[in-house]
Formats: sequence, C-alpha cells, structure tokens
Amino acid sequence: MITGKCWVASDYVMAYDIIIQQFWTSPIDKEENSKWVMAGVDESFNKENGFKDNGYTFIVAAHNFAGGGKSIEHVIAGLMGAGIQAVFADSFARLQFRNAINYGLPFVTSKDIAKGCETGDELQYDPSTGTIKNLTKGTEFQSLPAAPFIAEVAEAGGLMNFVRNKIAAGEPIG
Amino acid sequence: MGMTITEKIMANNSGREKVVPGELVWVDVHTVMTMDYLGKQCFNKFRSLGKTEVFDKDRVICVSDHLVPPPNQKFATMLNEWRAVVREHDITHFYDLGRQGIAHQIMVEQGHVLPGKISIGTDSHANTYGAVGAVGNAVGVTDAAVAMATGKAWFRVPEAVKFHITGEWQPWVMAKDLSLHIMGMMHWNGHLIYKTLEYCGPAIEALDMAGRMTLCNMTVDLGAKNGIVAPDKVTAAYLKPVAKGDWEPLQSDPDANYEAVYEVDVSKVVPTIAKPHKLDDTVPVAEIEGTPFNKAFVGTCTNGRIEDLAIMAKILEGKRIHRDVNMIVVPASQDVYLQAIKKGYLTTLIEAGAAIDTPSCAACAGIHTGVAGDGDIVLSAGNRNMRGRMGSKEAEIYLTSPAVVAASVLTGKITDPRNL
Ligand code: SF4
Repeated sequence: MITGKCWVASDYVMAYDIIIQQFWTSPIDKEENSKWVMAGVDESFNKENGFKDNGYTFIVAAHNFAGGGKSIEHVIAGLMGAGIQAVFADSFARLQFRNAINYGLPFVTSKDIAKGCETGDELQYDPSTGTIKNLTKGTEFQSLPAAPFIAEVAEAGGLMNFVRNKIAAGEPIG
Repeated sequence: MGMTITEKIMANNSGREKVVPGELVWVDVHTVMTMDYLGKQCFNKFRSLGKTEVFDKDRVICVSDHLVPPPNQKFATMLNEWRAVVREHDITHFYDLGRQGIAHQIMVEQGHVLPGKISIGTDSHANTYGAVGAVGNAVGVTDAAVAMATGKAWFRVPEAVKFHITGEWQPWVMAKDLSLHIMGMMHWNGHLIYKTLEYCGPAIEALDMAGRMTLCNMTVDLGAKNGIVAPDKVTAAYLKPVAKGDWEPLQSDPDANYEAVYEVDVSKVVPTIAKPHKLDDTVPVAEIEGTPFNKAFVGTCTNGRIEDLAIMAKILEGKRIHRDVNMIVVPASQDVYLQAIKKGYLTTLIEAGAAIDTPSCAACAGIHTGVAGDGDIVLSAGNRNMRGRMGSKEAEIYLTSPAVVAASVLTGKITDPRNL
C-alpha cells in the first residue's frame, strides 16, 4: 500500500518536457535527473528541484503520458528520483511505458481517474488489487492489474536486477 | 486463424509455433544498435550484468550520429569516451566519424536488418527497419544492455492494424505525403498506441525502399510499436548486395486478424504538410500556399536518402534559391553523400544556393548543427515539429516532403511542386 500526494498533469505531457533537451545527453541517474524533471511542463517546475520539492508521490494524467516518442530513460529515472511511486493515466506512450516496466515504476492504466483528482489530493494505491483511493475526496478507482511478468520485474527491482539474478543463477531468462 | 507477419516474426524468434496479441515473449534479437550519446551507458549497464563480452560482436552495431562532428567540447569528450568503450569491446561494426550516418539509415543500407528478424535500437526511429520486413523497435538503454548480454529482449505481441494502399502515385507525391496524410487521417487519438502497423497493397509494392523507410520511420510518431512492409522483389533486390546474413520471405496469412483495416487510395493523396507544433495537424500544401518561411532543412532518418536528394536536384536544376531563405541539406550517411556527389546532385544543390552539412542528425533534434533560433520559420523534411524540437521554443516548424521543400525554397513561400 502506497499513500501520498498527487500531481494532476494535463493531456499529452511530452517526454521531452519531462526531461528537456539540454539534459538528454546527461548520464541516467535518479538523483541528477530528478533535479530538473518536468522543467518543460510548467514554468514553476523550471528551476532546480522545482518539481521534486513539492513532495508528490503520484502523478495522475490523461492521454498519452510521456509521449512524443523519446526513448530516453532519464524520464523514468527523473520521476523516480523525485519520489514518484506510481503514475496513473488513461494511456501511456509506449516507449516510456516500456522503460517504466524495466525500472519497476508502476505506470498504471486507469480510465477517467484524471477527472476525479486534483493536485494535492491524498491518494492510496494498492498494487496487489489495483485499487486507487482518493482519500481527500472519498472516491475510488479501479486499474488494470499488472501482468505477472511485469510484477516479477517490479519485485526484482527492475529488469537489470531481474536479468542479473537470472544470469548469476545460470537460469535462462525467457 | 492465421498470423500477421509481426506475429510470425515474434513466434519464429521465440521458438513458438504461434503467438497471440497481448502475450509477453522473450525473443532472439538479430541486431542491437546503439549510438554516441547513449552508447556508453549501454555498455556500462551491460557490464553491470556481470558480462564482459557482448552476445555477438558482429551483431551489436555502434554508430556516431547525434554528436558528430562535435560542435563543442562536451560532445567531443563524450565521443572520445564512446570510442574508447566501443574499442574495448572489440565491436566489429563501428560507424564512427568518417564512416558515419544516421543510425537507422546505416542499419538498413549496410544490411544489418533482415526480413523475418528482430532488431532493436536505443533511438525512437528504430521503427524504420520495418521497411525490409523486419520487426524494428525502439528501446531504452536497459533493454539494449540486456540484449547485448543475452541476445534477447522481451516483447508484448502487438495487435495489428492494416493500411491497404491502392492507386497510382501522382507526380511529385512522395511517401512522406502519404505518411503525413495518414497522420492527419488518424488524428492522434490513442488508437494506434502499442499496435503494429502493416502497410500493404499495390501502391506499397510500387514503392522503392527509400519510400518504405520513410513510412515505417514515422510509425513511431503515430504511437505505434512498429511498422512493417512484407518483403518482396524490391526488398530482395535492395538487400542482395548488402545483407549481412540469410533471410527467408515471410507474409501475413490471408486469414490473419486485424483490429482495423484502413484503405487509402494514393491517387488522391496530394503534397501534404504538418503545421507548426503538432504532427497530426496536416493539410494539403495547396491550402497554405504562399506562407513565408526563412529556413529550409532536408535530411534526417526520414528524408535524407539519395532518392530525396534526387527529387530536389530535379526541381532546383539551373535555378536559384530565394535570397531570403537559408537552406541546409544533410545526406543521411556517408554512402548517400558519396552517391549524391557522383550523381551530381550536390553540385546542383550547391549551385542553387544550398549549404551541405556532414551526415549526422544535424538540427533534427535541436542539439547539433543548424538549430533554429527565435522567430525562425523552418520548412523541414524531418519527422517532428513540436515546439522547441529544432532549438528555440520561439521557432515554428512545418513538416513536409523534400519535393515541397525544394519547390518552396525557389519562391521563399510554401509552394506546391505541382504548380512549378
Ligand atoms: S535524424 Fe532526427 S529523428 Fe532521426 S535519429 Fe537523428 S535525431 Fe532522431
């Protein structure tokens, strides 16, 4: 069970605005990438730790979260470094959806959640059942539970650990 | 029920008889591509898996494209570190400055992607590889590192959407116009996310490899997982001199399942353009003819091929680019560059007043040469026009075909090439 404050994003938040151009060539590092995460999404986030200092645990978004077709993992690393533990949206762009799975950050598909939350609301997410409660408003949303492989990767702490464990154990990965 | 070509490729490369959409499978990867600004991190991650040798030195392809030649010290140092790590791992195919090109162009033109196989790359336009009938997929450095170590990657088998293209290609209409037409027709609505897009029909069979690459390239911008054209005579002829490995032809079964089928009559497709900031905000060029612009850019993994330079040379032969327009042309690879010199296209373009830049991504991603500044209105044959993509957030980018760019640089205003 994870509990914390949410930030509600608008439609079509682009991967490029989550991590702006000047940081694409930086090393992928949760701490470093989190300092300027979301810098292009909102002027108030465009300063060091501008997003991170708000202490959000969740992001609630609508369509095509992290779209625009960038494959850089800085996006996911930056969100995680900023304390984000799950993102709920109607739909996710596929490249970042994949990266999120590989990093073990739940990108959770949940229809209409964006319409039922405001920035600052306290949410509670139960990964085992997929239930998201809005404690501030007393409402509840259901999400699609993660596929077993995705849960296994998350359990291992991401794809790198998952594969590292398999290699160390001499087991085939697939 | 039969299988689509993408399903067959995923089944064949995961040792299964059959796969169905939604299934998660680990597949054997034929080639893994990484490039200058992410490559070192791929190798670092790969080593952190406890490995020192990649799964196959001939099948990890390394390319310098985003940062070459380095415009500043930061990039020069990154490139040096990149070179060191590639050499340390004794990678066979390293396309560094002097042999460089945009990675996706290199992967196809050098025969590193083959029909029926799966290739991944750490850049979003790896979808381009579908042009030869491969599954080409963009991944992050984690997936690349895992594949470098194990030769494998995980995939969710995608649902399929078919684009059946009929009719005759009209003069001056290019694959880019069809691509933008489809972009406008589908109006980004989440419908194509995670899907495989299959392009088929007589107008696709009539299309050369350059056109197929343009079409598949932009499937990532439609939100799709991959785009694919089944291999045929055109594919076989293209691959014959370059293929690095054997391949077998594969087709979708006639009774394969598609979530949707769209019919497009290409005879009705006209020169098309995407207006600034949104890729799906497309209109026929004729509707906005006369709009002024000051910069022109033709290159990128979408439209930097010899066929693109040829059509521009045809339009610009013996003419002069408008005095208020700055035009940069960037061949997609050294091979394309050399061919264009030999065929005289670059002479024609230079005589017309275009600047030629060394093969690279150049201004496309806004981090290298020729970027846009405040107030620029750019007419580009690239693939993305979001605010700030080519540099300044105060610039505007129109996306269109090389033919439209060439016709327009003569007048300094957006011009339909059919009216020349
Ligand atoms: S040309 Fe542009 S779209 Fe293609 S790989 Fe380079 S930066 Fe990306």
